[in-house]
Amino acid sequence: MHKSYTTLLYILISLSVLTSSNHSFALEYKSYGYIQPELSYFLDGKGRHNQSKDKPSIFGQGTFITYVQDDAAKITVNVIGRYDDKDNNRTYFDLQKFKYEYFLDDATLSIGNDIIFWGVNESFHVVDIINQSNIAENIAGTKKLGQPMLTLSLYKEIGDINLYIMPYFRERIFPGSEGRPRYTAEINEDSVIYESSNEEKRIDLAIRFSKVVDDFDIGISHFRGNARDPELNVNQATLKLDPYYPILSQTGIDIQATKESWLYKLEALAGKIESENHVRAAGGFEYTFYGINDTSQDLGIVAEYLFDDRNSNPFNNETALAVRWTKNDINSTALLAGAYLDLRGDSNRFFCEYEKRLKDDVKLFMDASINGHINSNDFTYAFKDDSSLTIKVAKYF
Amino acid sequence: MKKRIYIFIFLILNTTSILAETTEEKGLRIAMQSYENSRGYVDSQSDQLMILIDPKGNEVIREISGKTLENDDPNDGDKSIIFFNKPKDVEGTVMLSHTHVNDDDDQWLYLPALGRVKRISSSNKSGAFMGSEISFEDFSGLDYRKYDWKYLGEEEYEGEICFKLESYPKYKNSGYTKRVGLTDSHFRARKIDYYDRKGELLKTIHFEDYHLYLDRIWNADTFKVVNHQNNNSTIYKWINRELNVGLNKKDFEKSSLLKLSD
Repeated sequence: MHKSYTTLLYILISLSVLTSSNHSFALEYKSYGYIQPELSYFLDGKGRHNQSKDKPSIFGQGTFITYVQDDAAKITVNVIGRYDDKDNNRTYFDLQKFKYEYFLDDATLSIGNDIIFWGVNESFHVVDIINQSNIAENIAGTKKLGQPMLTLSLYKEIGDINLYIMPYFRERIFPGSEGRPRYTAEINEDSVIYESSNEEKRIDLAIRFSKVVDDFDIGISHFRGNARDPELNVNQATLKLDPYYPILSQTGIDIQATKESWLYKLEALAGKIESENHVRAAGGFEYTFYGINDTSQDLGIVAEYLFDDRNSNPFNNETALAVRWTKNDINSTALLAGAYLDLRGDSNRFFCEYEKRLKDDVKLFMDASINGHINSNDFTYAFKDDSSLTIKVAKYF
Repeated sequence: MKKRIYIFIFLILNTTSILAETTEEKGLRIAMQSYENSRGYVDSQSDQLMILIDPKGNEVIREISGKTLENDDPNDGDKSIIFFNKPKDVEGTVMLSHTHVNDDDDQWLYLPALGRVKRISSSNKSGAFMGSEISFEDFSGLDYRKYDWKYLGEEEYEGEICFKLESYPKYKNSGYTKRVGLTDSHFRARKIDYYDRKGELLKTIHFEDYHLYLDRIWNADTFKVVNHQNNNSTIYKWINRELNVGLNKKDFEKSSLLKLSD
């Protein structure tokens, strides 16, 4: 199914390129990307599953964009990939964007893989649901997998309406047995169970309405389809974890108020899985001191709180606090430092991310992720010994 | 049409009061004329090149392209979209601004790596634009509505007699307390000195490379900025500037950031 869909899309895109070249013989396009060697070093020596204390890998990204059919349509290809020396699950290619868009006056029709982000928060992404996470990339799940979809966007006086039809579901990618951090038990990706009898071929649907009203950016969304976040159940025969994807319905709202140097944010949803209802919400603020000490430097403060009414959810009472320093210099030097705190006192984690341009086309990133106290009953206990320092150097082309 | 009536009324009012004109009124009159001469461009697009130079003479290049939509509303500002091209790490980033005269602008940023459109605070209109010596505030420096004015007299600049004008920002988050500028007989700004929040001379912008667009609008296609405090300088150039190109008004809205992103 997925293959034939990709082939169909490929043919469609090729045709539109060919038919549009009647007017001009040379195809005008834009392409750019980067390649990024990375090295992580774990501070507590070898891992709990005897994983190596270092983790070298190479990440790459390439984007290709061209307008066709007299600029009435656009083709976007965005591919990412990684080679990880240790973890096979972290070696992959993904077509993040591979789409054909057709522009009408008040509407856009799009077909293909895409990355769609919903929400306003910095730390806790509550309403974002369209794309699956690749948590072999990072446990936080901020790296996504391209989602095949047909999208209709309508730009109306009352606001924007986006309709998403998703014919093929992407399973979550988990860290492998050599991955670090990883779950205590191994995940059996060959033993995936769905609630839906159509399994990954279930057609998932979503709709979003969004509007700007003065200082407020408002979004209301509804999704029904395979849950992106699977339950992990112990298989008594293999003692591995089998991912189970139930059907999820969720209705969400996201609001940001921008009041001078203050940003106020809220994301909330009411969800339903197998006739069980749940509520999840996160919000907070961001305040920026601009031009501190009469320099061009800025200092921002971010605070967000996450709530979930399911006691079973490992993240149901958390806060994130961070400071962002932006030097606004020629090298775009910036630093983000902060903490994730479980408010019941079960766990805390500290992070620091520094970046600086070294040359016109070379950028340096240095990250630290340090685990504080973690109780043995906390979900993140499995990652307790995985404090790390990471250095990344991106070369752009 | 509205604008013409507006100027007409203004001229009538002006001829009756010209004899008793104060230095504030004269300053405002020159600033208004200068602004009105720049209006009626409808929309514009251009590539923009920045050369950032440090005191040792090291240079780095920034490249963006931009589209602007004129706002007919006499109480509001224009809309603009900036596409970032260089440095390469920001390629694909797009910024939309709905500017306002004496309030914070509305600004959104499209971040391609996250596929995310973010509303951002624009209280830093006076901040360094892409690490340069120019700030966002400087791009709308011709707008007379943003300042209180005072005419200081005449001064010769590059062999021409110019009006010397002092202006004080009305916007509370302005990076400046005062500007002192020279405007020539074509009502073109030639040079402005900027004074920082402490009242000290911060920088000078020389407006050069004037070209006549649509047979009546003078635009400086080069800004040369010298910072007197850190000795950095910036050369800002407009390339392939076109006015009245027939851009789609609807493209200057938040929803278009995803559509226009490349």
